[in-house]
Amino acid sequence: MIRRRLVRGRSLVATIGVWLVLGVMLVYILGPLLFMVTASLMPAVEVTRIPYRWIPRTFYWQNFWQAIRGNDGRFYFVRNMINSVVVATAITFSTVILSTMAGYGLAKFEFRGRRTVMLLIVATMMIPFQVIMIPLYLIAMRMGMQDSYAGLIVPFLVNAFGVFLMRQHLLTFPNEILDAARIDGASELQILRRIVFPSSWPAIATLAILTFRSQWDNLIWPLLIAQSRHMQTIPQYITLFTEEKYTDEGAMMAAAVLASLPIVILFFGLSRYFVGGARLFSAHKG
Amino acid sequence: MRRARGSKGVVARRGRWGWALVLPTLVILGLFSVYPMGNAFYLSFFQKHLLSNAPPKFVGFGNYLYLFRSPAFWNSLRATGIFAGGAFAMLVGLSLLLAVFISSRKRFQRFLQLAFFSPAVVSTVVAAAIWLLIFDPRGIANQLVNALAGTPGVDRKWLVEPGMLQLATMLVYVWKYVGYFTIIFIAGIGTIPRSLYEAARVDGASAWQAFSRITLPLLKPTTLLVSVVAMIQCLRTFSTQYLFTQAGSPRGPIDVITLNVYYTAVRTFQIGRASALSIILFAIMLFLSWLQFRVARSEEVSYL
Repeated sequence: MIRRRLVRGRSLVATIGVWLVLGVMLVYILGPLLFMVTASLMPAVEVTRIPYRWIPRTFYWQNFWQAIRGNDGRFYFVRNMINSVVVATAITFSTVILSTMAGYGLAKFEFRGRRTVMLLIVATMMIPFQVIMIPLYLIAMRMGMQDSYAGLIVPFLVNAFGVFLMRQHLLTFPNEILDAARIDGASELQILRRIVFPSSWPAIATLAILTFRSQWDNLIWPLLIAQSRHMQTIPQYITLFTEEKYTDEGAMMAAAVLASLPIVILFFGLSRYFVGGARLFSAHKG
Repeated sequence: MRRARGSKGVVARRGRWGWALVLPTLVILGLFSVYPMGNAFYLSFFQKHLLSNAPPKFVGFGNYLYLFRSPAFWNSLRATGIFAGGAFAMLVGLSLLLAVFISSRKRFQRFLQLAFFSPAVVSTVVAAAIWLLIFDPRGIANQLVNALAGTPGVDRKWLVEPGMLQLATMLVYVWKYVGYFTIIFIAGIGTIPRSLYEAARVDGASAWQAFSRITLPLLKPTTLLVSVVAMIQCLRTFSTQYLFTQAGSPRGPIDVITLNVYYTAVRTFQIGRASALSIILFAIMLFLSWLQFRVARSEEVSYL
């Protein structure tokens, strides 16, 4: 009896301890996000007020107007947003299509050199972008791709991780279905389009989200390749806007909120696949 | 016999399809990953100015020797070591702790996962911008620390003082990625059979014992994966440091190798030197990954 009460007492202490840690971590993680949203609605004097008021008194929408208009009134925000959407979308589509094709080829076709190809692709996964960016920049310059969509898109048309992911997924795809389709006279391209693509939806969604997100986040490559403000992307816009003398804190956070909107909408719509992306990592290694 | 030959024809035809499907990817990866990798290695032995059309001049190990003699290089190495070491330890430790705690909850699991994952959604630049304001002299970081320490009005110089600046970049990075690794750990914990914990409880094991004797050993493949990925990720950091320096922080304490590569190439136009620097970074990454696999394997042997 006493023992049981002791155990229950201890587990209560443990529960409180666990929630204390989780609570502190939640403040650390969610606090800055809440700060971004609330500060975006405040005039600058309010943002730097001590103590900070977590609930804005008034909604200062001018911040958003300043973020979109820019300090020079040239609306580069709009153009850079379009660039980001175009670049990330194009890369996502091509990555999904090419990765599925290659993954399908590697998973379901016997051909000479397949093992070598697979090894090569896995090895490419190890190459960090920061190591190859300088030569890549020289190549892109030589091909005349600076300040163009081609320059922003082409180096990322496909990536080794995507191929690897799709191959792992398609290895489990039943051969009987493919053979049945062949007997019915379907061509290989038809099989790819009508059977492989539609039935790989969860893996494709995950790959698409991971790709889109990482491109939306890409700063270092556009910094090199897109020098003209017309061809820059949203991460560059935020960086430049933050540096500018006339940018106040509220407008800075408004720009941050606006830049996050597309990806946040994606996140809430498809959180299953977002989280799935992280899980897949452990799934195929474990 | 005839059938065998017939099926061989089919195999050959299908083999061609295999190649056709793989070829576009191979060309792109070859052109934009493998070739630049070789090229980076090649260029690291040459002197080349970004803006001049003069052919690269062979200098042997000149670039490497130059780097080994330059204090800026050692500073970069130190900055990278401090950042990667600190952020790595915090990331792996916190994400494991969070994963164990979240997995132990019956309710709110999904909410907690999504909440901790949410910063991974906003881009690194946005993250850096938010934290720039938090670390402002009048920002929330100072307010919070002063409220806890009972020292009103003290400026901790988050963005100026070297040690604080390094801590600040780590906090931003951990903030952004801790949820990502938490989810990988939670998935790993999910594969451990629950019956093991029930058996342990029946045997009177404490929560700590269950964690150290069941969770930790069985989680080793996941831990290895997380530490390799986290380590490489931390060594690749760029955006946070870039935005902080652009906003006026001193570059020295946070001049990680990637930042140094960027500045060497874009501000001083020394392509060869930048390439040598990035090759060194690559070598460090390879070495650390290899080391982690080795440590993991040797431990496995000692367990058996």
